Amino acid sequence: MASEGEDPDLALLEGVGRGEQAAVRRLLDARLPRILALARRLLADPYEAQDVAQETFLRAWKQAPSWRPGQARFDTWLHRVALNLCRDRLRRRRETIMAQPPEVADLAPDGEGALLGVQIGGRIEAALAALPERQREAIVLCHHQGLGNKEAAALLGVSVETLESLLGRGRRALRAALADLMEAVR
Amino acid sequence: MTPDRFAQLAAAHGGDIGRWPQAVREAARSALAADPHGLGAVLAAESDLDRLLDLAPAQSADAALMGRLLEAAPRPRRSGGAWWAGLAAGLGLAAATVAGVAVGVASGEGDRLDRRADAILAAAYDQPEPDAAAELLDEATDL
Repeated sequence: MASEGEDPDLALLEGVGRGEQAAVRRLLDARLPRILALARRLLADPYEAQDVAQETFLRAWKQAPSWRPGQARFDTWLHRVALNLCRDRLRRRRETIMAQPPEVADLAPDGEGALLGVQIGGRIEAALAALPERQREAIVLCHHQGLGNKEAAALLGVSVETLESLLGRGRRALRAALADLMEAVR
Repeated sequence: MTPDRFAQLAAAHGGDIGRWPQAVREAARSALAADPHGLGAVLAAESDLDRLLDLAPAQSADAALMGRLLEAAPRPRRSGGAWWAGLAAGLGLAAATVAGVAVGVASGEGDRLDRRADAILAAAYDQPEPDAAAELLDEATDL
């Protein structure tokens, strides 16, 4: 991970700001999969994840020509934008769910089939989705996105101690929800 | 680092000390070296959960999304001279179109003026920023 003040994306971002298509491609190759993964794991919906990733980068393109280095790393900025977009969608989804419960795929274990990769992935996605929002965000930012504890805590607006608590409680809940699958990965 | 604190950190950050906060890694490795069996078991249990979490679905960008983002990315900035050239071409084109229509209607020389308008249009599109000229033409046409 880059140290504070050192942004590995800065040169590419400057190229994007100048309209260099090669820089745009390289930046997308480097960062789009991360933002897609973040959105997918926070929203548990591939289509909404694509929408969030697209909106995040459209905002990045607007920022690129006037990006001022030293304020925040570009990757952190992307995470902040995507995180807020995901929260907006989850909020709207909760309002919709209250009005009309959506159909939910049956992701409960069903014997032999539960060990199929797709179904395991579905179980984990469902378990993540069932966590309280802050715990899910903490786990996705730290475990899946590999952010440091200070960076993740800053994104969530909490102290590192609170982040540790969110992570601990989230992992404990996941362990309980996925207990039947733990044997499969040993 | 006490065993309890080690377990707390493992419960929060998982079974790989390399992914724990930088500030505690050295102390954690020392604690592990002092109790490899007991604390090793703590790490192993958390690593099982780590491996499971790694199976949470991600997704790759499809070609359509990449295409939309490439299309929407910033374009090379035009120079001041090119911008003014595009503007001048666009305004000239608009003026020529209006004048051409007026003269053509008045004199009955529509075909010849149409050819002139085509030539002006082609010249405008030869400018470094053809889109700007086209937009100006559209705006002028909408007026």
